[in-house]
Amino acid sequence: MTQDALVWFLVALAVIAIAAVWILSRRNKAVAKRKAEIEADLNQQLSKADEQIVSLTRELQQFKDEHEERIRQAEEAAEESTKAVLKGSARFLQSLAAEQQTLLETIQRKYGGHSVLGDLLEVSHANAQMSRKAQGIAVVCGAPLGRRNKPASVYDVVRSAMGQIRNFERVSIMQQTGFALKASAVSPVALAVAELLDNAASFSQQNAPIEVTFQRVQKNLCIVIDDAGVGMSDEDRQQATALLSGEYRPRLSQLGNQPKWGFPVIALLAQQYGFRVDVTGVSRYGGVRAVVLLPEELWTMEETTPSPAETGQAAGAVGNVTRADSASRTAHGLPRRGARQIPVASVPDRDTTTAALPEPGDAGQAAGRSLGAFQRGTLSGRRLTVAPSEGTDEA
Amino acid sequence: MTDEPEPGLELTSSLVPLFVITNGRSLPPEHAYERTTLVSASQDASDAEARTLSPEARQVLELVTGGFLSVAEVAAHTHLPLGIVRILLAQLEERGLIAARKPIPRAEHVDRDVLNAVLDGLRARFGA
Repeated sequence: MTQDALVWFLVALAVIAIAAVWILSRRNKAVAKRKAEIEADLNQQLSKADEQIVSLTRELQQFKDEHEERIRQAEEAAEESTKAVLKGSARFLQSLAAEQQTLLETIQRKYGGHSVLGDLLEVSHANAQMSRKAQGIAVVCGAPLGRRNKPASVYDVVRSAMGQIRNFERVSIMQQTGFALKASAVSPVALAVAELLDNAASFSQQNAPIEVTFQRVQKNLCIVIDDAGVGMSDEDRQQATALLSGEYRPRLSQLGNQPKWGFPVIALLAQQYGFRVDVTGVSRYGGVRAVVLLPEELWTMEETTPSPAETGQAAGAVGNVTRADSASRTAHGLPRRGARQIPVASVPDRDTTTAALPEPGDAGQAAGRSLGAFQRGTLSGRRLTVAPSEGTDEA
Repeated sequence: MTDEPEPGLELTSSLVPLFVITNGRSLPPEHAYERTTLVSASQDASDAEARTLSPEARQVLELVTGGFLSVAEVAAHTHLPLGIVRILLAQLEERGLIAARKPIPRAEHVDRDVLNAVLDGLRARFGA
């Protein structure tokens, strides 16, 4: 009996246990399902939020870009308008300095025998330096450079550059070459060399020499400028290379309180006229070696050596007269006095001065020529537009 | 920015300014190299020395080689202002390339007493 009772009890226990297990597992399942549902929901919300973040970031970036673009445009506009103002002023100074230089030259010739000439030369030197600065500013601001319409020897171009810096006595040109620059290249190369010479002079001792040599390398003509200065640091050198290659173009506001126009001017000239400038070399004195490399389009082989006649106003006639003169000497080797045969300075009759070469020893012809000169003189006197108002000249 | 070709102004001054030709030297003193001073290349002027000269200085040297020319004539031949020629000549003389000969000084004033004596003699001879 007790056995039966035990069995029934055990059966009941088992049934209860099974029921409990079944209930528990069902509950578990329900919880798990709910959890999964909540997770899915959360994930969806998260991804939505992510999307929103992405789009907002994109908008922000766009806004930032627009902002930067606007600042850049404003800066550019400011730069352009500053340049326009500066360009106008620089052009004015440029033309005034050029006019003044011509004027000074006329005065120097007029008072050539007077002691005031010494002072005039100094004024002219100061003016040439001002002219260089004005031209540099004009170039950086996009104005055209003053041009020359005659080709010139590279020797004279460097001499012209020398005149544009302060202590040009320190510069010595070691050779006189037979190479000539084409007319269009004369003023840009002169200005670029002047800027390089100015650098060489400012970054070396007061009395240290600056040497200029010329080299022909394949089809290029090089103007080499050696100074005995302190040289450049690696950083300076990199900056100079970046400036000269046009990689880095500083704004006007970045030029500093004591603006360094030199390299920007050189870089622009080099780019516009097609030559190259390098300042990374080391000179034989341990200073900087600057090289201006002129491709063959800019220069030619000149027929004559640097001509002193270029300096004269009656340039064409001078060379011929002197050459003819050195040929016509007396039996004792004394030069003939030119004034008797050729009216050198008094009668500006160019055709006859070049054509009428005297034959030594022919007194008759000489007399005829001097009479001819006299006649030409009176003829040209009669041709004057301010015609004699009182009576005719035949009288 | 438009890039229309703007005409650059034409530079009419001479390329090499006069103060570069003289290498920045100042004028020699007033009495040196007057217009009538005669100059001539010195005998022992070496070619090597002459080769380093500027074209203008060389032209002056060539003009006065083998004879005497006055300073004024050198200036006329070279078409350079007189002062510039004087500076070049000073430079050349410094390097021993030329020699200058002073112009003959003006005649001195004649002694007044002698003239008076002559006048007296003439008066005595012909009667005044």
